[in-house]
Amino acid sequence: MSLEADLARPAQPASAYVGDRQRKHNGNSFLTGEVMYTADLTLPNLAHVAILRSPHAHAHVRRMDTRAAESMPGVVGVLTGAQAAAISDPIPFLLDPAGLGGKNAPVRCLAGDEVVYAGQPVAAVLADTPADAAAAARAIDVDYEVLPAVLDIKTALAADAALVYPDWGDNVMLAGAFGPDDFETQAATADHVLEGELRIQRSTPSPMETRAYIADWDQRRSALTWYGTTQNPHPQRFVLAKALRIPEHSIRVIAPPAGGAFGLKMHGHPEETLVAVLSRQFGRPVKWVESRAECLLQGGREQLQRFRVAYDNDGRVRAFYDEFTADHGAMAAGAGWGMAFVGANSFPSGYDIQHCRVEYKIVVTNKPPSVGMKPFGKDSAVVVLERAMDLVAEATGLDPAEVRRRNFVAADLFPYTAASGMVLDSGSYHSVLENALTMIDYDRRRTDQQVARLAGRAIGIGIGFEMLAEGADVPASFVTAYDSATVRVDPSGHVTVLTGATSPGGGNDTAFAQIVADRVGVGPADVEVVQGDTALCPYGTGNLSSRGLVVGGGAVALAADDIGEKLRAIAAGMLQVGRGEIELRDGFATASGDPSKALPLAVVANAAYTLGYVFAPDIEPALESTRAFKMPNVRQVPDDQGRYSMYTTFSNAVYVSVIELCTETGVVEVIDHAIVHDCGTQVNPLFVEGQVRGGVVMGIGAAIGETIVYDSTGHLSSDSFKQYLLRRAIDLPSLAVGHEVTPSPFSNLGAKGVGESGYAAAEASLMGAVNDALNPLGARVDDFPLSAERLLRSIQAARS
Amino acid sequence: MISASFRYETPSSAAEAAGLLNAGAQVMGGGTWVVPALNHGVRQPKVIIDLRRAGLGGIERDGDTVRVGATCTYADVLTSSLVATELPLLKTMALGVTGGRQILNQGTIGGSVAAARPSSDAPAVVVALGGRVVVLGPDGGRIVDADTFFVGPERTVLGSNEIVVALEFSSARGLHVGYSKLKHGASSWPIVTAAAVLRDADAAGGPAVAVTLGGIAGAPLSVDLGDCLVDGQVEENRARTAIAEQVDLIEAPWSDVIASAEYRRAVAPVVGVRAVRMAAGSTAGDPA
Repeated sequence: MSLEADLARPAQPASAYVGDRQRKHNGNSFLTGEVMYTADLTLPNLAHVAILRSPHAHAHVRRMDTRAAESMPGVVGVLTGAQAAAISDPIPFLLDPAGLGGKNAPVRCLAGDEVVYAGQPVAAVLADTPADAAAAARAIDVDYEVLPAVLDIKTALAADAALVYPDWGDNVMLAGAFGPDDFETQAATADHVLEGELRIQRSTPSPMETRAYIADWDQRRSALTWYGTTQNPHPQRFVLAKALRIPEHSIRVIAPPAGGAFGLKMHGHPEETLVAVLSRQFGRPVKWVESRAECLLQGGREQLQRFRVAYDNDGRVRAFYDEFTADHGAMAAGAGWGMAFVGANSFPSGYDIQHCRVEYKIVVTNKPPSVGMKPFGKDSAVVVLERAMDLVAEATGLDPAEVRRRNFVAADLFPYTAASGMVLDSGSYHSVLENALTMIDYDRRRTDQQVARLAGRAIGIGIGFEMLAEGADVPASFVTAYDSATVRVDPSGHVTVLTGATSPGGGNDTAFAQIVADRVGVGPADVEVVQGDTALCPYGTGNLSSRGLVVGGGAVALAADDIGEKLRAIAAGMLQVGRGEIELRDGFATASGDPSKALPLAVVANAAYTLGYVFAPDIEPALESTRAFKMPNVRQVPDDQGRYSMYTTFSNAVYVSVIELCTETGVVEVIDHAIVHDCGTQVNPLFVEGQVRGGVVMGIGAAIGETIVYDSTGHLSSDSFKQYLLRRAIDLPSLAVGHEVTPSPFSNLGAKGVGESGYAAAEASLMGAVNDALNPLGARVDDFPLSAERLLRSIQAARS
Repeated sequence: MISASFRYETPSSAAEAAGLLNAGAQVMGGGTWVVPALNHGVRQPKVIIDLRRAGLGGIERDGDTVRVGATCTYADVLTSSLVATELPLLKTMALGVTGGRQILNQGTIGGSVAAARPSSDAPAVVVALGGRVVVLGPDGGRIVDADTFFVGPERTVLGSNEIVVALEFSSARGLHVGYSKLKHGASSWPIVTAAAVLRDADAAGGPAVAVTLGGIAGAPLSVDLGDCLVDGQVEENRARTAIAEQVDLIEAPWSDVIASAEYRRAVAPVVGVRAVRMAAGSTAGDPA
């Protein structure tokens, strides 16, 4: 640990609440249905939006006739793409590929003359009721000239491919590389080289709560109040200001409690701007609620991976090469394309392979655009590396766990600069692996597996190790490794926290209350947390990149310490002891040497406002502090190899699955699983486990059965949960969750993120487990999803 | 969200319901198919005829026949002691219906039969039990054997002015039954279902075994496995082959987004034999 890191972290208070498995402080309101989600909100004179979406994957809009729609019952107005373009600007990019030398295309709230995916918004109807709006939308008459569409990578990259954006000249948004270009040289001196490939299907995050937005334009003040399911209220405000051509300070963004996000609700969606444009245009508050079928249009992760591994007989990997091609769908103003970039940047996961080269290419096709989805591309690196390690194990005859042991970054190498330029902060990968193997009783499982095989049962065991980069700070974007908080104590002793970090529903607000409680001496029940309101909360970038607790909590801690200092000063004056002797705990300020000298914090707080001159004249009055916490370990100036280091915390985990494969039907059943996870200091282990469990289930679903399917004309076939099959509670056995704690040396809480954890390790593990089960049958799969149909075909092919 | 207006009728008798029928009307029982179709805008009927107050519930015995009213829910079937003793296969089917309590309490057997979806459980079970569909139209009633009632996916012999009022079954008390289905997760509709019925050698009519498959063709497919009996036991390999042969003859094999026709064809013998195995291993009159 460096001196810099030591200085970054102030003395930790004795924890009464941090580390405690506190339930959500507002949990009852969720359980009883009292919570007001965005879709629950209503305003006087509210009007509702129905969106007409393109039925074609690629078409030219020749003509649009809205007269019939405009005269239908309840209709307030209709907006076409041409009309919208006259009164609004394109939506600012969350991340702009042109900034890296790639290409972009403007994205507006409604399509103009060209539509580039089936489902793209082309017109909007505003009406008194949602049903009236939907009925009128059907009455809009559009004359399309259907154009040839490209629906997969191969077609999009063919020499004579139809172009999604004609002025691009090709269908490549961005291409680039990370790492030294020396694979061939290194491979020449290694014992062996193996090759592999993996295809990953498109999937979707499926939050319980779909998107919803309400825009309320105030004509008199020329001001907008915007309510919505956004993960990032302050950046959202910037985006709306630019698109609407109005000053940022005339917009208030309010993000009500969210029912899950997973990256889907990062800003850049056309409908965010559309509701505001409609409200301003038609002078009514406007509400749009996304249907599940519309929500299933949002997706991503579709990619093709080809890799080469140079390794020695002892299983040590000497060099790694990966070719990564992502099918992005059409252009978007959101974060979707960043996943391929970050995925490529995340190689070689947590393995000590300095000679690692990744060449990536992001392709556009006529499908709905990718959205950012956890774990934001890092799953790519994990899945490929875990497959590679399993292939090396197979080739060398070593146990897959042993291959990983021999290639992990060892605990004494941190902070470790990876080939990509990422500087991994801390980790105890070997310990995490051993603990996970112990939890699943790995040796016994292997023995049981041999016995089962003799009885004709196909049991597979898979190890998935994930190393997840989190807390990114991307230059010239609102993806930041800092956040702000205000902590305020009123004269009655009640504490209010206002934070720029938001919660997707994972409980970081309760965690903030716990942090404050420890440092100010109140109980968490005396703390109110306010999130998601740009008029009330200090500047922040919400929740994304698993940083809400780390930097949001970091800012809360700093502000709470300031308050604590003031309270100690006042109490010391009142109790006539030194300031260093005051302890704040259990609602009291107590002299550590003499417990009989104690004051209720409410009394001290009151005195801060009314008796400041008497007891602590040197203290600035008012118990309020606004602080920002910034992670110190970011490098945005390239190093001598041209590399950046944008990520600030690196959590990791090992997930082990035991599966049984039915060789007659191809059905995979997870019969047992366990995970050991390390996110450093845990403010609330209950919330950590919730995130980990959720991530694992999402990863299993994506691995086994969740597939977004398009038909041959580019229409979404899987538009409900009857085709897109999420795992249900009865599909999976209980997950044992163990913890390792290797603190971050850089965050003042010692915490790392956990918001994206579990998914990648689970997905990777299942690929390994299924291949482990198929191996004795002479069969193999390299594609996700590991569907029953695919596995059965593989088994049948091996038999013939 | 339903965005097209319609007239909603709640006839209080089967005859009144039949009189309301026309080509533009949509009949509903529990609405578990119809309401989602309305929400998705797949259907926009002008009239909806809700049969739930038309007195078509009730499960009764009439001599050797058990009559199950068309608007009986899966929950009604599950709680009926008559079904438990006379038609245990029906109870087993109801136990495994995808969708939990809400669907069990709302979905109707008659509705499932009239909807004739390859991904439902009820049609193949009704055929396996040799059920008869009681139909009513403005010109009167008729009874259709279940094995001729289903014509294809979502297609039955029901005219546009006819409704299903009940299902009739001969008691299956003396039979061995088995039921197996393949799903890809709890939330999935079945991909292939198999309902096996086995009659002992010493029962009236002599030994017989057949399995009825759902989800493999557009309509339920019955496969007679009598030739697979060796010394009164079903020889499983023969049964697998017999099922595969019948499946290969299907002219319009069923497929959808979650499973192709090729996959269904590959697993049908497996699921069919599982059902037969259960039947062979059970006591006559026991549920599957």
